[in-house]
Amino acid sequence: MGTVQAKKSRKAEALSDGQPKGIKTSSIPIEKKNDPSVIIFDKLPVRVQRVVVDGLTRTKDDIIIKEIKPLLSAKTFEELVHLSYGAKVKMERLGLFKNVVIAIDVSKDKRENGYEVLFEVQEFRRVDGGIYTSISNNDGSLDFQVKMPNILGRGERFSLDYTVGTKRTHGYSAYFRKPLNNNPDMFVGSTLYQFHGEYPWSGYKQTDRGIGFDFTFPTFLGSHNLQWEAVWRDLKSLSRETSFAVREQAGHSLKSCLKHTFSIDKRDDPILPTTGFLWQTSQEYAGLGGNVEYAKQDGTFQWNVSLPLDTIFQVSLAGGIMRTLDPRASISISDKFFLGGPLTLRGFNMRGCGPHSHENALGADSYWLTAAHIYSPLPFRPGKGRFGDLFKTHFFINAGNLGNIDFSNLSGSVSSLISTLRWSYGAGVVLCMGRSARLELNYVIPMRIQKGDKANAGLQFGIGIQFL
Amino acid sequence: MSLVEYALQATLGANEPWPDDVVLFQQYQVEQITLPDYAQVLAVETFLHMCGLKFRVEQRTNAEEMSPSGKVPFIQVGPYLVSEFEPVVGFVNTKGFTLTKNMSETDRSEMRAYMSMIDSIMGNAELYMAWLNPDIASEVTKPRYGCSYPWPLNWVLPWRKQREVKAKLKANDWAYKSIEEVCEEVKICCLALSERLEKKSFFFGDSPTELDAMVFGHLFTILTTILPGGHFTSVVKEFSNLAQFCTRIEDKYFKLGFEQ
Repeated sequence: MGTVQAKKSRKAEALSDGQPKGIKTSSIPIEKKNDPSVIIFDKLPVRVQRVVVDGLTRTKDDIIIKEIKPLLSAKTFEELVHLSYGAKVKMERLGLFKNVVIAIDVSKDKRENGYEVLFEVQEFRRVDGGIYTSISNNDGSLDFQVKMPNILGRGERFSLDYTVGTKRTHGYSAYFRKPLNNNPDMFVGSTLYQFHGEYPWSGYKQTDRGIGFDFTFPTFLGSHNLQWEAVWRDLKSLSRETSFAVREQAGHSLKSCLKHTFSIDKRDDPILPTTGFLWQTSQEYAGLGGNVEYAKQDGTFQWNVSLPLDTIFQVSLAGGIMRTLDPRASISISDKFFLGGPLTLRGFNMRGCGPHSHENALGADSYWLTAAHIYSPLPFRPGKGRFGDLFKTHFFINAGNLGNIDFSNLSGSVSSLISTLRWSYGAGVVLCMGRSARLELNYVIPMRIQKGDKANAGLQFGIGIQFL
Repeated sequence: MSLVEYALQATLGANEPWPDDVVLFQQYQVEQITLPDYAQVLAVETFLHMCGLKFRVEQRTNAEEMSPSGKVPFIQVGPYLVSEFEPVVGFVNTKGFTLTKNMSETDRSEMRAYMSMIDSIMGNAELYMAWLNPDIASEVTKPRYGCSYPWPLNWVLPWRKQREVKAKLKANDWAYKSIEEVCEEVKICCLALSERLEKKSFFFGDSPTELDAMVFGHLFTILTTILPGGHFTSVVKEFSNLAQFCTRIEDKYFKLGFEQ
């Protein structure tokens, strides 16, 4: 990617520090031959006469024109640079081009203050692909992906995925996404998938086949996502040892649900933030056709504050509640809440809290979970500024509970959810993996355990994307 | 529950001859169950009645998926789940109940031969009739099989099941038979049974055996299920002693207060 290069201009050099990259101005009209250093870019009057976009093959003209048009109204050179850079970033974010290089030049017909802007764009290959490793909760998987970026010329993206996981999980999915109104933050998506997962903590395996449509749009407060999903779920007992309480839920179900997620994420990093907060709530209504009917509410709040000595204090709260809307049927184990695990309620096994039948976690209708962490750099700070920054030590305390709610005796249920709480504390090391997953090795001391819980005192290792 | 408790319960279950809370799981009888499945359920029920064992029938729409072998019926005895006719017979025998105590070895092997004949002929014929006969499959079997599911599963699942049954019957060449050939097979089977039964009350001696339970399960189901065409019903009705046998068993085990 090029940088801002203004010939013989100290001002331009100064500008290049604060200026966006990826812009190259090949020549500058020399107004004052004697002293080139006094070109004042921000005041330099400009008339854009031509904008050339070079390298288009399948990208549609209308979407480019929409992005380029504001450039014509640029009044000063600085404005022009900003607008050009804005257009470049937006076109890249829309998924139109792999790379955009901007060249600003005086126009050929030598009119006064006449300029032309050249965008040298590089489109994506029509078909691209790759093999990636990805991490979900305590499970690693290998993803084979074929993607077709900008497939229809307006930033649409189509991808096909095949995933194989370590826990005999596997799945296929196709995903199509299209930005709306030239806004990379507003898009519609649709997906078609089949996924097979095994849940040994609950003694079942499940094959999901689903179709979904979603619409994401930003507002001044935060981002909204509206999703409709229909999924056919085939639940089977994992083995002969599966408890009868799980076994009797085996069979086929069809869930058709509408889900709204609202999130504000002001953190500087999703895995190891140092400042900012996250607010995320979701409402789900299942029962638009199908034979699964419930309403579910879930929310997470996280707040980070930097303290002296590079330490960070983090508080998180999460909670959820659901209710069946079909009085004849209870909620299936695959929709319920679970609690416990090395990244959520530490000191307990995966899904180790709450109702169990024999060895199988049954889940419940509601949960709450809180956690407080103090993160600090590694002692003596090895690998500072490099590899060592991916590691942090942390001290934590987490408390939570999982239980069923009796809606006819709400206050009683809530008070029992509070009085039977589980909590634990400990310390450990956190490793940030990419910007999507984290790995923790902790020493945990569970302090309050209820009957039937599967506690894990001592060393506990966890890897995953969801944590609190 | 801790492992010790679990083991304790399992041992209790094994020592206790026949607990009171035995449950037999099947699909909904009126709306859902298909002909071949009902024949199996009835055979197991009859066998348990013949042994004088108490059990409760529970109807679940997902009985088939709940079953450890994927087939109905299955019984829950304490912590044990046992599915299908032969394993149930075996399990009941280990509990000390048997219908073949006084039988000679020759009779016993003859009985097994009849049982495997019924299993292969009647079992396949029922599957053929229920799933491969286009009229019966589309008018009776598929709607019943899919009745507890919402659209589009009420269409997908019966179709999938039909494909499964077809594959099974193709593997043993039954799928290539014509309906007349299938009826002929059923007739041969009934003839063999009828000749064995003659005028006796039961197939072997004067007390019922597994074979009686199995024959009743299949024949009673065929006689009482009204299907378009009615091919099998008319075949079985030709053998009056078999029809009388069914009435007798029904009177004895299903009308004298055994049914709860």
